[in-house]
Amino acid sequence: MDIDDLLAEVSAEAVPRETRDLQELTRCWVAERVAPELLTWPEELMERVLERIRRQIELVEDQTGDMDPKANFKLIVIQTELERFKFLVRSFLRARIKKIDLFPLHTLALHTASTDPGSTTTAAPLLSSSEYQYLTQHQALLFQHYASSFLSQFPASLQRLDDTTGGISMVDRPDEDKAVFCRALRGVGEIRVEGTERVFEMKRGDVWVVRWSAIREWVRTGDVELI
Amino acid sequence: MALPLPPGLTPPEIAFLCEMELVTVVPRQRLERLELLGGPLPPLNPPHRTALPLWLALLLKRQRRANILPPPWLSPHSLTAILDHETTHEQGFSPPPRLPPLPSQNTLPFSPPFLPSSTDNAAPDALPYHWLELGEMLLEAATDDFEDPDNVRKLLRGLREVRMAKLRQGVEVLDSEGGISMNGVGGMEVAEGRAFVTGVIDGLRKITVSREQQKKDKDGEQRENGYSGTAEDYDDDEMDMQ
Repeated sequence: MDIDDLLAEVSAEAVPRETRDLQELTRCWVAERVAPELLTWPEELMERVLERIRRQIELVEDQTGDMDPKANFKLIVIQTELERFKFLVRSFLRARIKKIDLFPLHTLALHTASTDPGSTTTAAPLLSSSEYQYLTQHQALLFQHYASSFLSQFPASLQRLDDTTGGISMVDRPDEDKAVFCRALRGVGEIRVEGTERVFEMKRGDVWVVRWSAIREWVRTGDVELI
Repeated sequence: MALPLPPGLTPPEIAFLCEMELVTVVPRQRLERLELLGGPLPPLNPPHRTALPLWLALLLKRQRRANILPPPWLSPHSLTAILDHETTHEQGFSPPPRLPPLPSQNTLPFSPPFLPSSTDNAAPDALPYHWLELGEMLLEAATDDFEDPDNVRKLLRGLREVRMAKLRQGVEVLDSEGGISMNGVGGMEVAEGRAFVTGVIDGLRKITVSREQQKKDKDGEQRENGYSGTAEDYDDDEMDMQ
């Protein structure tokens, strides 16, 4: 470790928590917009961000009464920034809902696996509690609707919506081999593209177009970001 | 309720990201320290230079409360040098700015738009990730802060065309396996090229999917049997050729 590293460490810690959270939220949003599959819900980050937004809204409501022109401009700055944050959060949530809607049964299975107390592979649940509620209730409503309008007329063996027999699965899955643009935040060494002979080294700052499945693990650990 | 946009950031979203870049302003009015959601805003004391996010700089500029200092790389001199480099080196884009030292393992490394690559002390010899969007936005909102805006505009146009031509040429190396280096590419260029580049790679992959499946199965079998694979001269040959 040389002097540059020490300086970098000090400066990174000098960056306020809020700024680091903004960077993290931005990264999560970009990743969710780009990645073909749903990513883990950033529980702690979202709690902090939503709490700050709530407090900021209260502040704006409190101060809107003052018509002093100087305070007024301060309020414009605060509100402009608030709107930008709300856009980020909203777009992030909507991008997630889109993927939940596209692959409901697949997502549900993954979420159940991620919350299974017996498993040791995953640490955090895939969905937030509201997303889980949305997914299960939406699916229940859809199933009831299908059942009452036509499914109940079918033979019992053909009524399932998650049938995987006969070589064709009814459960839609995202295309995990889709190509994505990504940037290495740290050197991650060799990347191997499964099923092909392609092996390449990803150094810090490099931008690559690569299959999502090949770099997925690095995105989870935060060494690679999607762009 | 679900987002109706296709996967991948759209140009307005890239512009939104770009507005988080820090730029240097010279305030004309005082403004107290403000606690914003993205961290505290330093107090503005004219005529002390302060680094602010672009969205705020543009707001202050529009209300004539501040002037924006264009970053060093956005000068005719630097742009001419970079354009020269882009035209003489046919392979790849000009190198991106040097990265700051890596922070320690447990903190998140910074990346654009959170690197100070467009403040008044940024590197003058490299285009940052959001070069095109930032240049266009500053030229539109703060024309009077440039010494020679027309020349800058002309050079940006030139750079854009040279780099788009490279992006189009790069299409020839696309194949089904992915793993294409795009060092130095800009945010807006990613947005423009994304649909085509990833579309071609995904399309080619779907054509060769059965061959890959065979290889995957074979690899899996070899791993199970503890087969070292040294007899597979054919595989090694292919590696050498790449």
